[in-house]
Amino acid sequence: MSAHVTELLPLAAAGTLDAQEQALVAAHIGECEACARQALAWRRVATGLAELPAPRPSRALVARTVEAVEVRLAERAERAWNRAALGFLIAFAWTLAVLSWVVIDLVAGGLALRLDRPVGPTAAWYAAYVLTGWLAAGVATAFAGRRAPQEGRIA
Amino acid sequence: MDPDRDDAARLRRGDTDGLAGLMQRHQDRLFRYLLRLTGDEPMAEDVFQQAWLQVTERISRYDAARPFAPWLFTVARNLALDQLRRIRPESLEEAGEPAAPAGTGDDPLGRAVALERASRLLDAVGTLAPLDREVLSLRFDADLELPQLAEALGVPVPTAKARLYRALARLRERLLAHAPAEEWR
Repeated sequence: MSAHVTELLPLAAAGTLDAQEQALVAAHIGECEACARQALAWRRVATGLAELPAPRPSRALVARTVEAVEVRLAERAERAWNRAALGFLIAFAWTLAVLSWVVIDLVAGGLALRLDRPVGPTAAWYAAYVLTGWLAAGVATAFAGRRAPQEGRIA
Repeated sequence: MDPDRDDAARLRRGDTDGLAGLMQRHQDRLFRYLLRLTGDEPMAEDVFQQAWLQVTERISRYDAARPFAPWLFTVARNLALDQLRRIRPESLEEAGEPAAPAGTGDDPLGRAVALERASRLLDAVGTLAPLDREVLSLRFDADLELPQLAEALGVPVPTAKARLYRALARLRERLLAHAPAEEWR
């Protein structure tokens, strides 16, 4: 009885040998009665394993799983939307802040002129722009803060 | 076209029909694998649900150029081993007394066993170490070929082959020790 072939017998029964090993085993058990008996015994074990009862997940379990996945997908879609909305708000806030300088310069005819007028319609417009920018940034920050714990929980 | 690949792409887009297709093709063998690995039906059900949730969460990491089944089994395996380590901190490579060996007592799986021989085989499998049960289940329940089996275990093919050999050898030892001699000789 060849030790090498003996070690291959359980793997042959499990169907995991390559063609060369399988040929080696087939040739050997054709000549060796002891190994042929062992090969048969291993085949009984392998066949028994393959024919064991095949329990299936219950319908309730499958339904619960599908429902949980649907909830998870809805959360994922909501997170994606929130991220897009947050990005838009932040971009909006920054755009307002930057544009305010351009607008003030256009309306007032330059920074020096605007500085010469202590209070007037131009300064009021400028203040409104800045406040709107800050407000948008504040909303975005609050929005981000409110979403952060939930993001962490899902991840 | 590979239906798994198509369904994975749909799931990545948030389409639940993609999940339905993947579950339909893989849920039975995944459940059997988890039942054999954990030896505990409630735990297998819990891990089953967690595995599909994690598949949904991580589907963007799945490499569609590779077969889906090994990736799915790897996800489920990691979850199951985490749970097993929590309740059984000692090595998973050592046989012990499983909390509920498959096929014994009031286990529904055991009740379903019609043939005495199959029952003895199932009992012997239940007494193996979790990692031995796992490799047998991946081959005989999940019907994974050796390369896929190795991928699911996260080991090279020769290592997977050696583990399968050891598990079969240990199983036969148990059978010869506890079953009628002529049955497995």
